Amino acid sequence: MLTEGVSLIDSCSDRVVMEPNPTYWNPARRPTVRIVYDNVIGKAEGIKSVAAGDGRVDVVFDLTPDEAKGFPASDKGKIQTKFAKAILTGVFDERREDSPWRDPETRRALNLAIDRQRVLDKGAHGYGRVISAFIQPGRYGADPGMSPLPHDPAAARAVLEKAGLAGRELVFVASPTWKGVVEEIGRCLREIGLSVRYVSDRDGVPDTFDVKLEWYFDWTPQYPVACVHREFFGKDATLRQGPEDPGFDALYAKLLHATGEDVEDVTREVERYVQDKAKALFLYSPCTLFAVSDRIAFTAYDTCMSELAETRIKG
Amino acid sequence: MDAHATADPGGSRWGPHNTVTVVDPSPVNWLSITWNTMEEANRVDHDGIGQPSLAESWRWLDGETLELTMREAVYQDGETFDAAMFKLGFDKVQEWTNPHPPGAFLNFARDVTCEAVDDRTIRMRFPGGDSAALMKLRGMHLPSTRFWNEWGFIDPKTGSAEGHW
Repeated sequence: MLTEGVSLIDSCSDRVVMEPNPTYWNPARRPTVRIVYDNVIGKAEGIKSVAAGDGRVDVVFDLTPDEAKGFPASDKGKIQTKFAKAILTGVFDERREDSPWRDPETRRALNLAIDRQRVLDKGAHGYGRVISAFIQPGRYGADPGMSPLPHDPAAARAVLEKAGLAGRELVFVASPTWKGVVEEIGRCLREIGLSVRYVSDRDGVPDTFDVKLEWYFDWTPQYPVACVHREFFGKDATLRQGPEDPGFDALYAKLLHATGEDVEDVTREVERYVQDKAKALFLYSPCTLFAVSDRIAFTAYDTCMSELAETRIKG
Repeated sequence: MDAHATADPGGSRWGPHNTVTVVDPSPVNWLSITWNTMEEANRVDHDGIGQPSLAESWRWLDGETLELTMREAVYQDGETFDAAMFKLGFDKVQEWTNPHPPGAFLNFARDVTCEAVDDRTIRMRFPGGDSAALMKLRGMHLPSTRFWNEWGFIDPKTGSAEGHW
């Protein structure tokens, strides 16, 4: 139960305190610890605290790959990883009528130019997994017949040159968290005669760009299309950078009216559609990364949320 | 749990020995706190799989009718949770046009109905069907009467619960 502080969409108190409900019906999820969200100390200081074992902070959420890689050797804390239901993907800027990215063949060609494993390994220290599109293998709605688009720079170059993009500088907008990823994409594209300019999304999104990287996560009980695919491509998408897609909207309507096992079949159909149309620059599924004190047993959630019911103090 | 003397202000039984302090810089940490303190009919476990929560089970009676069996549970303020509390949560969320911060995709259509058949049974009717129903229920919080009377997701600055659920 919440005993101190508030956390709202637009504001939160310096700390939020939650104490266990000793009469909670589910013993397996009955917390045994008081949880304090410290909203003041900050991530960098929190990471230092975990590594030093000074007791001020036990878990820091949402580390960047660089922060995880840079975590000091410590017998007081460690980096914990989770292959949560998250994606890192590129949204094409299709807002202008003459945008080359309105052509699925051009979008597919840029996908073929990317060596995803190299981008993941060198741009994000390997914290993630290359996946086909938006759903991880083995998850609800994943199509076992799908595989990531191949790395085929020669084919990519041919199509992109035909589209008038030879020698172009492509503008990639991304959070500073993903600057290393953009730099590695740039190295891939240099091999086919293109260059990349990184623009931080902290500086405001420019009027025109080519690709904007978005991290997104699925918190749903096995209904990924509404949460993730819709957010990128649906009628009411907040991440879409182009016109509505009647093909996607029709599939989404079909999903909403499906029943029984058809729901998962249509989910797979949506996932295949997104890849067939090269609707995004598919990259990989990033790990969620935590700095965790050795004094606690921390259970991370695949939803990427900081749910803490099962987290315990060791001993 | 035994009481422990601590250096905490107020001298509560909670101290550093049984406190976990977290730093969560996520812009949606308000949602994590909601899910740590509220409960819904269903939830998603740490492996990302949907699980029963305040509803112990559910089944589709036909393409438009979902029947849920509520768990026997008691709120921390002593109030009994039952099907009427589920119905209350549904009625409250339906009072608003767009209550959920993530967006309208979580809304139940206006023609969806909810009936408490008995203390433990809820029957929801979705004209035309809605395969997203269980996802939407994950976002429909089921607090006690005291919460509804004292807070009710109303933003004190605006007096509205739109986008504030």
